[in-house]
Amino acid sequence: MPIQLTSQAYCKMLLHAAKYPHCAVNGLLVAEKTKEKKKDSHSEPVLCVDCVPLFHGTLALAPMLEVALTLIDTWCKENNYIIAGYYQANERTKDSRPNQVAEKVAARISENFSDAAIVMVDNSRLTMSCFEPIVVIYDHHENKWKSRDVTSDCFEDWSEAQKITSALLEGRSYENLIDFDNHLDDLRNDWTNPVINKSVLDLC
Amino acid sequence: MIENREMRDKLRKWREENCRNSEQIVDVGEELISEHASKLGDDIWIIYEQVMIAALDCSRDDLALTCLQELEKQFSDSHRVKRLSGMRLEALERYDEANKDYDAILQDDPTNTAARKRKISILKAQGKSAEAIRELNEYLEQFVGDQEAWHELSELYINEHDYGKAAFCLEELMMTNPHNHLYCEQYAEVKYTQGGLENLELSRKYFAQALRLNNRNMRALFGLYMSASHIAASPKVSAKVKKDNMKYAAWAATQINRAYKYTDTLKRHIVHLGGHAEAAMKQYPLPVFDSGWLVAGPRRTNAP
Repeated sequence: MPIQLTSQAYCKMLLHAAKYPHCAVNGLLVAEKTKEKKKDSHSEPVLCVDCVPLFHGTLALAPMLEVALTLIDTWCKENNYIIAGYYQANERTKDSRPNQVAEKVAARISENFSDAAIVMVDNSRLTMSCFEPIVVIYDHHENKWKSRDVTSDCFEDWSEAQKITSALLEGRSYENLIDFDNHLDDLRNDWTNPVINKSVLDLC
Repeated sequence: MIENREMRDKLRKWREENCRNSEQIVDVGEELISEHASKLGDDIWIIYEQVMIAALDCSRDDLALTCLQELEKQFSDSHRVKRLSGMRLEALERYDEANKDYDAILQDDPTNTAARKRKISILKAQGKSAEAIRELNEYLEQFVGDQEAWHELSELYINEHDYGKAAFCLEELMMTNPHNHLYCEQYAEVKYTQGGLENLELSRKYFAQALRLNNRNMRALFGLYMSASHIAASPKVSAKVKKDNMKYAAWAATQINRAYKYTDTLKRHIVHLGGHAEAAMKQYPLPVFDSGWLVAGPRRTNAP
């Protein structure tokens, strides 16, 4: 079951990567929880409506990741979301393969959501104009993570996503993006990013 | 339009705090250099250096080159300037040429730590982690007091998932900086990640220590809660250890809730926490606290 990204989910991922160009960044993708399980639900794409930026810098430590997963899980339950995927942008420009951290977190997510995907940001193609989607999506098949071709079908509305992301990058909105690390530094920082969400809505 | 003085003060503050807010430095620095260069006096050289490095971070090679050329004109044979020239080559991914610059500096002055560290950074940029680690270890044998290097090494080890060696590096840092709550807290995180009951207990102790050193360290507070909860939940511990850790976890949970209450960040005021924490909270009396939350450590329950 392939995942699809909304403009909000896509642009917040890229804003997170742009805010910390010298660090690895990661985060979670959330989808709306659907109650009914259709028989042919395998053909329905899972729409990731939002993302929660997690950390920047050192991604390979467990305790804060566990705290984040717990708090975000609670938030998801309150909003009828489910954690459906994980994104990561590596530290080096030319490195866009999922590493052990990505696989571990994705495995954890898969315990609650069988079709969890890993979305890797291709740093080498990150530009202000965002002419093409710069993510690589990995699905779990036969115990391995395999990449899938990313087309505009992987987006709810690619041209909207492109327009909004480009506008927010140019406007340096990433300076206001809050990740979980920022929240731990100061609890007043809201990792649900209401300010950025509003900017996205205004541009839609 | 902000004043010349204000801009200089900002740049100085960012220099002193070693901030990597390169876009802001470029914004402020570029204006300062182009409009007010004559009024900066000798400060201009250090500003050129700061702005140049920030410009490299923002792919502004035009600005970086301008700054570099001014510095080269003024300080023609300086190692410090040569290192900047090397950094520019690094930014352009011309690593072989950069290494030549650094080797030339080291030929002249084998104790030049900046050049050695740049060479290690090149290895890191090229993804050669094992070599970077090896070189950094060799460097630290000679320059045992270089804290930045110990910290860099701990990060390299963490990225390689070699938590034991990362812990060793952080131990070095804690020994020389016993009052630094950040090192304590990071050490606790590494121990926690290493796993196993003994490491969990150590991690709890160091989270608690970090909290004593800085009672606003939220990571330490969360870490204390997580580690104590895991220990309490382990089938291998005695009833007393279980009870003690439930007490620590309950205390931490209360503090966490209190912290969220005070910040009023999110709509919900109570953080939903695990089962045994809530049970323990009912059993043990809660300490009374000031608005400066977290005055007492896990063992003390005196009111302020």
